[in-house]
Amino acid sequence: MVQEQQIDTVDINVNMGPQHPSTHGVFRMVLTIDGERVIDVEPHIGYMHRGAEKLSETMDYRAAIGYQDRTDYLTQFMNEQAYCMAVEKLLELEVPERAEYIRVILCELNRISSHFMFLGAFGIDLGHFGTSFTYGFREREHIQDIFEETTGERMMYGYFRPGGLVWDVPDNFVQRVREVLPKSLQGLRDIDMLMTENEIVAARSRGIGIMSAEDAINWGLSGPMLRAAGVPWDLRKDKPYSIYDRFEYDVPVGRHGDVFDRYLVRIEEVRQSIRIVEQALDQLPDGPIMPEKMPRRLRGPEGEVYAAVEGARGEYGIYLVSKGGDKPYRLKMRSPSFCNLSALREMTVGNYVADAVAILGSIDIVLCCVDR
Amino acid sequence: MLTLTYDVGNIWLDALLGVLAIVGLMTVGTLALIWLERKVSARIQMRLGPMHVGPYGLLQTLADAVKLIGKEDIRPRNADRWIFELAPFAVFVPVFVALVALPFTRDWAVSFLDLGVFFVVAVTGLSFVGFLMAGWASDNKYALLGGLRAAAQLISYEVPLVLSLIAVSMIVGSLSLSEIVIYQGRVPLFVWQPLAFFIFFVAALAELERQPFDIPTAESEVVGGPFIEYSGIRWSMFFLASYTGLIVYSMLGALVFLGGWDWPLGRELGLWWQLVLIVAKTGFLILLFMWIRFAMPRLRIDQLMSYCWKVLIPLAFLQIFLNGLVLVYDWPDIMLLITSGAGLLLAGYVIDRAVRVEPRTLRLVPAGRRAKPAPAGAESGGT
Amino acid sequence: MRGILKSMYITMSAMLRKPVTINYPSYHREVPQRDRGLPILLWDKEVDEPFCTGCHACERACPVECMTVTMKDNPLHADEKSTRRKIIDEFWIDYGRCMRCNICVEVCNFEAIAMNNTWAGHELSTFDRNDLVLDLDQLLAQHKQEKIDEWVAD
Repeated sequence: MVQEQQIDTVDINVNMGPQHPSTHGVFRMVLTIDGERVIDVEPHIGYMHRGAEKLSETMDYRAAIGYQDRTDYLTQFMNEQAYCMAVEKLLELEVPERAEYIRVILCELNRISSHFMFLGAFGIDLGHFGTSFTYGFREREHIQDIFEETTGERMMYGYFRPGGLVWDVPDNFVQRVREVLPKSLQGLRDIDMLMTENEIVAARSRGIGIMSAEDAINWGLSGPMLRAAGVPWDLRKDKPYSIYDRFEYDVPVGRHGDVFDRYLVRIEEVRQSIRIVEQALDQLPDGPIMPEKMPRRLRGPEGEVYAAVEGARGEYGIYLVSKGGDKPYRLKMRSPSFCNLSALREMTVGNYVADAVAILGSIDIVLCCVDR
Repeated sequence: MLTLTYDVGNIWLDALLGVLAIVGLMTVGTLALIWLERKVSARIQMRLGPMHVGPYGLLQTLADAVKLIGKEDIRPRNADRWIFELAPFAVFVPVFVALVALPFTRDWAVSFLDLGVFFVVAVTGLSFVGFLMAGWASDNKYALLGGLRAAAQLISYEVPLVLSLIAVSMIVGSLSLSEIVIYQGRVPLFVWQPLAFFIFFVAALAELERQPFDIPTAESEVVGGPFIEYSGIRWSMFFLASYTGLIVYSMLGALVFLGGWDWPLGRELGLWWQLVLIVAKTGFLILLFMWIRFAMPRLRIDQLMSYCWKVLIPLAFLQIFLNGLVLVYDWPDIMLLITSGAGLLLAGYVIDRAVRVEPRTLRLVPAGRRAKPAPAGAESGGT
Repeated sequence: MRGILKSMYITMSAMLRKPVTINYPSYHREVPQRDRGLPILLWDKEVDEPFCTGCHACERACPVECMTVTMKDNPLHADEKSTRRKIIDEFWIDYGRCMRCNICVEVCNFEAIAMNNTWAGHELSTFDRNDLVLDLDQLLAQHKQEKIDEWVAD
């Protein structure tokens, strides 16, 4: 008879991050692993904390625009829009029609570029040796060229202003966007063919990191994470802001709530965003881009407002408290990355180390937005 | 026995020349392969790749090599000194030695071994020791994970690799690489043994730790695995070993399955034509390895192991069994193709069935209407 | 299997397409007209002096406080060559701090500051961080030599 022997095993703590290629910035998670299985995750954040909220309180309403870009550096226009909407609500400014349309076009293009970034990075998390990443970046580049021609910057646009926009778009803007949209579809097809049906991708991403609809709501998730879990919640539809109620588009909703569904939801959202941009281009009116009675110096009345947009990662909100004067008394950013990241432990425990990376990638965090 | 170019008479000088030739082949081959891999990956990703040093960046790897040699050789304080420092050699020497037994042409080899296949497989199978040493001695948890993964993977995939080669040598009736090549004078063995070739190819991919089997060194999980603490010249030795391994396995595949230096141009070839053939065949396999590397994501460790033990090894046994049938009953050669081809089709069907996934669809909440909460979801209204 | 073959096909077809990158330090892509490099000062060629009067508007508006401005009486105004009573004395911009938000350009009452829209506004690597603090002469040099394509917003 072979005697059964008790082998002593030790769980080891692996410190993943802050310098790790797949933590999307400076996120650190301490994995407790038993062999290859994750039995506990402890996330550590705050390496990128710059006090963006506090900084925004120290400067007037216009100068703080620059800091809005720098929270979620992949969806700059949406952050700017949330901030501008909050200030406009506070100051009761009316945004001209043309400015609203241009904002929507730029925001949706920004969503496309942000999702391309996700698709590329997701491939890397699954182990693609940069192929999906370069495909995603190639398409992002076309969109970024438009942004650069319009705003002058490649990353930190600073293009929206409370009340409207800094400048009007260049003359060939409509034509340029129309050129780029088919390219984006083509690039999306490349990534789609590279990854969607690939059995290895399916084996790696299906059935892991499952989040049920109820859990997703309880954790306060938003954006593609929530929709992949099966909850059709999209601020653009459910609490229409700006002029989103004028367009026809679908909200993709997943059925399983796993990593693969989050990937699929984002792919579909790119298609829907392209639809919105096409409609907005057709309807784009002429006219001013700033309200006629624009105060030279922005001074807010006392009060508090909350404005939220559906960012590429979820609900990006700005909560603004004013006690008069040209500076906000308190500015709070509701960052979707932070809220989505809070569910990490729930999804990761019990999976393999390799899955932990894929799950973290599927949340699509931006650490600047988490730490602010 | 013929050795490299001509017999110099002195056994020591002869050995020295042989080693020099192998070292030269290794370094030049590695430098060229790294450049090639960077260019191939660049083109697959629609980039330019290295362009600066030399024409089309040809000298880029040379510059990198010089840089690596000039770098500081860092050893972590807690590392186990001797094991840490010897690990690169333990990885490097097996592939180096394997190259000794590979005949490049009919007359060119450092040594024609009668047990060539056996020797090559045996020595390359040793390299996992180096990975384990590196992983254990680095005193780094990523390295430890990577080292253990490497050990598990390399030992497992050694089995189907050996079995597929056994199937081939059953038919040829010899373990000598030259004999195997000579046997394929008219029809290369990948025609007679498609299933064995498939198994060999996949197992070689895993032995080389290339995508989709690069789990030990997985960049996005264990950040290079066993190599994580190495720098400078020791790190470049791992690199050298990995690319020499690529040459060894590709050349082994070219010799055993693609007809080596004979097929399809016939027996009476000059030395240069033989070289052209072998280089072309090896290059073809290398390019195939590279192409796969940049088209696939990575498997997970449990999927990797089950693929080896549940799919490849039974298929390899099936191939051996089929070959045995053909040999025992003395069926014509065409039966080899028929049985093995049927086996390959069966393998394809089984794998396809096993990994097939239902295409998933999303629910599109229709345009223009306010979204309704999902049936499974609780209250989705409110904030 | 089919999905894997599809990935192989798409990588191969991408391999046969033209590369989309350019060999950067040897070639530069064209920057668009609105490109926002780093701020520079403009030179009034008619009067042969800077446009800037040193009014501190940009300095006050700058969110990162990267500018330092001092003002002096304009000697050319005394000679009645210029309409500017005050003129810039010293002007420093710390390019290491600037976050290129364009606010200084917007608040400037004299259109004296602009964002550099040439490649010179991007390639700024230096060996010493202090070299990134530019003084008045350096800030004016770009426009004086007519190296920039003027695109003054508004």
